[in-house]
Amino acid sequence: MSSLNTLLRKEWRENIRNFKLYWIPIVFVIFGVLEPITNHFLPEIMKSVGNLPEGADFLWPELRGEDIFVSLMSQYQTIGILVIILAFMGSISGERKSGTATLLYVRPMSFGQYFLSKWISVNAIVLASVWLGFFAAWYYIRILFNSVGAGEVFTFLGTYSLWVVFAVTVVLAFSAWLSTGGAAGLSILVLLVFQIIDGVVGIYWTVTPWKLSTYAASAFGSSADQAAYWMSIGLTAALIILLVLFGMYMAKRNAAKTLV
Amino acid sequence: MSDLANIPWNLILPIIVLQLILMVVALVDVIRHQRTNGPFIMWIFIILLGGIIGSIVYFIFGRRQE
Repeated sequence: MSSLNTLLRKEWRENIRNFKLYWIPIVFVIFGVLEPITNHFLPEIMKSVGNLPEGADFLWPELRGEDIFVSLMSQYQTIGILVIILAFMGSISGERKSGTATLLYVRPMSFGQYFLSKWISVNAIVLASVWLGFFAAWYYIRILFNSVGAGEVFTFLGTYSLWVVFAVTVVLAFSAWLSTGGAAGLSILVLLVFQIIDGVVGIYWTVTPWKLSTYAASAFGSSADQAAYWMSIGLTAALIILLVLFGMYMAKRNAAKTLV
Repeated sequence: MSDLANIPWNLILPIIVLQLILMVVALVDVIRHQRTNGPFIMWIFIILLGGIIGSIVYFIFGRRQE
């Protein structure tokens, strides 16, 4: 365990030095604050800069605070996931390429602990950022819309967090397997393109990780199929474990590709 | 001037502060490191003029991981 501890300390220091510990939370919080504000002032913004014809009159939909949570989530589903992919695509492959890995691999450490140290630290940063973003949005929603119950918000966040962990695991496992560019491309395919495919033809199946965000949104009222919901959670958890094992194996197998 | 007074500054201010922090962090990094993809003067302009997006783009693409 002590070598995992050392590896975690190394990750922590690295993430401070490359500023990821600062800029990723700030980016997510900015999106979280921006979403309620733009939605609240949209009618006025459109009136002043929207170039509407004289006398145009729109009926703006009456948004509830719950809707803002869901629309912020769909922002995170595209821009947020893209930021996660681009920020962490080189976590393992980059170390192989830069030669940091040679300094590590000559030491008696297990590749399981090596991958686990990455997995824990990246998940900690990303989950903290997502939660901070939603908490910031929650505060603004309370001021500008209506107050949303804590029970609903935490059910929503719990379900969505599992999807976020899945996304991080996919990026890290592919980073252990492929080069940085390949990891980015395949992660974008799995996390963003599959999401679109699931949205278009997804009515034919109910149990996938890509449905988790929809199930998370169902915490706010609209009831989802409970059996499909729990099976999706189980499937996602199983996939996360498999991907972690795959990542550990690939980190070990690709150790020989390290540039010296 | 009445338009300026109508803006709810107490709501907007946190965003401006966060954006400034992000910009300052990016600028400190550029000036301290000076190892960027492409000329680092260009990145200073991107960060200063690009707003939130400029700083994010710098952290993702501009920083050279050594």
